[in-house]
Amino acid sequence: MRMGKSVATMAAASLVLAALAGCSSKSNDSGGSSPGASGTGNASPSATAPASDSGSGSAKLDPVTLKIVLPGDRPADMDAVIKEAEKRMADTINVKLDVVFVPWSDLAQKTQVMLASGEDVDLIFDAPWLHIQQMISAGYFEPLEDLLAKYGQDAVKVRSQQMFDANKFQGKIYALPMGNTHLAGRTYLVRKDLREKYGLPPIRTYDELIQFAYKVKENEKDVIPLLAYGQGSSTDVSWGAFRAFMEYDPQILRSDALGQSLVLYYKNNDGKVYNLFDEMEPRVWSWIQDARKLYTDGLIHPDILALKDIDSVIQSGKVAVAVHNEFGVPSSMAAAIAANAPGAELEPVTFVKMEKGANITNFQQANFLAIPKVSKHKERAMMFLNWTAQKDNYDLLAYGIEGKNFEKIGDDQYKQLDANYPPFGYAWVWNPTLDRLNAGFDEETIAHYKFNKDASNLTPSVLTGFSFDPTPVMNEITLYNTTADKYYNALFDGVVDPDSTWAKFKKEAEGNAKKIQIELQRQIDEFLANK
Amino acid sequence: MAIAREIAKNKYLYLLAVPGLLFLLVFAYVPMAGHLIAFKKYRLSDGLWGSKWVGFDNFKFFFMSSDWYTVTFNTIFLNGLFIVCGLGIALILAIFLNEIASRLYKKIAQSFIFMPYFISWLVVSMMVFAFLNTTDGILNRTLAANGLEPRNWYLMPGIWPAVLTIVYVWKFAGYYSIIFLAAIAGISGEYYESARIDGATRFQQIVHITIPLIRNVLIVLALLGVGRIFYGDFGMIYGIVGDTAPLYPTTDVIDTYSYRALRQLGDFSKSSAVILYQSVMGLVTIVIFNAVAKKIDPDSSLF
Repeated sequence: MRMGKSVATMAAASLVLAALAGCSSKSNDSGGSSPGASGTGNASPSATAPASDSGSGSAKLDPVTLKIVLPGDRPADMDAVIKEAEKRMADTINVKLDVVFVPWSDLAQKTQVMLASGEDVDLIFDAPWLHIQQMISAGYFEPLEDLLAKYGQDAVKVRSQQMFDANKFQGKIYALPMGNTHLAGRTYLVRKDLREKYGLPPIRTYDELIQFAYKVKENEKDVIPLLAYGQGSSTDVSWGAFRAFMEYDPQILRSDALGQSLVLYYKNNDGKVYNLFDEMEPRVWSWIQDARKLYTDGLIHPDILALKDIDSVIQSGKVAVAVHNEFGVPSSMAAAIAANAPGAELEPVTFVKMEKGANITNFQQANFLAIPKVSKHKERAMMFLNWTAQKDNYDLLAYGIEGKNFEKIGDDQYKQLDANYPPFGYAWVWNPTLDRLNAGFDEETIAHYKFNKDASNLTPSVLTGFSFDPTPVMNEITLYNTTADKYYNALFDGVVDPDSTWAKFKKEAEGNAKKIQIELQRQIDEFLANK
Repeated sequence: MAIAREIAKNKYLYLLAVPGLLFLLVFAYVPMAGHLIAFKKYRLSDGLWGSKWVGFDNFKFFFMSSDWYTVTFNTIFLNGLFIVCGLGIALILAIFLNEIASRLYKKIAQSFIFMPYFISWLVVSMMVFAFLNTTDGILNRTLAANGLEPRNWYLMPGIWPAVLTIVYVWKFAGYYSIIFLAAIAGISGEYYESARIDGATRFQQIVHITIPLIRNVLIVLALLGVGRIFYGDFGMIYGIVGDTAPLYPTTDVIDTYSYRALRQLGDFSKSSAVILYQSVMGLVTIVIFNAVAKKIDPDSSLF
């Protein structure tokens, strides 16, 4: 009821906006061709260019407020940080910040509506796991090449050329990649206190992890041994599928077409698209069967498919092992679990190899910041991004106020002092050069981060720089997704019988998956031929 | 001419209606033009008129899958349950409340029944989870305490139409019962007086006086419900069921299905296509049911 109405109103609103956009698009276009003309008022390109050199005696610009849309919850000390940042910028790029936070649960929908309705936003977070490809193909984002060349020298300098090359979409830089490492971390969060209680040594293999889980099952009535994700598109973090990140020979990598789904996948770095419906990969099948066994044995959380807020379940202290999409235990979670369950402590366990060349990657980053086409302050937005690429400014936006929110440890680590500004640099400033590691992490986690900062430690995928254009198979992808929503997580979390469910899934999704596979392979062949 | 005279004669009454009419114009009539988007490949940067016409292409994703009749059926079935149970129980509640003699008790009871109406779906969904979850849900604990086997309710799609109906009734029965109560209050006391003189029991008074006299209200409310029968209550169903895949076979409605299908695509045209489908089907059903209502009782049809 509500949905119908709100979409109708949205449609109405966008109708009106579309009409307005029709009138105003001309001025936007001219703004693009002669930077400085739109929004920045009297600032001519020659006057603004020096401003990017940390503002050494440049002409003062008119104040401009940038609206920045980021994911998550507003930190308590956000206003203090913004005030300090505005003070520092006052004499140079003179930017005021209007930072809007969108809760994770509404992120996909809200940002999409903002873009689709043409809301006046100057910088917006987007990601391949959110909807960046679709937003780009819908034409909402401004290509950044010219702006980066004119106003973003520092923002370019702190990121490797590889990072830009690998994170183009349809051949252009549509958004600034935000990453502090070249490989996304994956970890099992393990209850250290319980492991020690049973006198088990630190966990080194998946089998040991499962042994620990069975121990918990036998001895702890109120603790659920294993927890993963089971809802919606968080398919990479379902119990069975998560193992793909930690097993090798061959490494099974998700394709570029179906989000985090393993149904279409790459292996052996051979530029071929494999399809689980054509031929079941024995390894993947063993993951599904293993998950099924764990579920029927009562190890995996019985309501795994109904749980909406996984973090709060982990933090309640009622879970022994949970999957987590990063290296290390986040400080906020460590603090929360200690508060909720006295004595409880989490430790990170990962089987991701730290071995030169072991991991294949296409260097694609997980987080991006884009400048929407409708922004009236594109030049200033870029100047702001450039401003964040200076060490002191980066520290301020990423970690808060020094001495209050965080403390510098050397040049590349930090210690969090209070919980009023939990670091969220990934959303708007992250880069491998300036980022500091959490000194609260254990040695192994820090080693992983450092190791993966160096691109030469990883094997480049032959598809580095490739981006899939979903337009020709849009209907098939939509249909595949609705079918996968019904079966995929249930299978990989072991909730349903593997054989019969796979048969149903295959019957309903095979045709669409095949068409997508053919289109993806066609685009890959074309990409490789032109390489 | 006749219209002008009519307006001039009742100009103050019409003036009163202006805000409502404006509201309808802005929120019900203007958006109708938005249905055009359903036949275009709409891109914001191209604008409404610049976007390409694509005919019925946008409808394909919905009708190409085998799910469309399941979700259409679920939408009608669930809404049917909601209308019948919701109005039925609200009617009974209203009659009971009306029969309560103590004014104070009546007011208190009414407030309690009305209260759930103000609870947001998000909170309701947490309450449902607290009640039904497997590990420490109230229901399973009760079952275990009585020596019965706890069940995994979130894997049993069969019970969910009932769960949703119970939640719906719990939330809305109080609201509808107030409408019925207002209608009952409008019944002249003389009817009851003469019935009592003739020796009618209380039950007979209800069946032969109260119900027939508020039948109009009942039919109008039912017709309004039927008009929206193709719209699933998104806030409710998405709030409570969310992305819990095992429950889709019985709870997935058109709105939740298309929301899931399109949330990552950001495709306005396809969403508009689904809305157009719902609107057209809704229009057809309400015309049919209105005709039926007219046959049964000419006075109580909507138009």
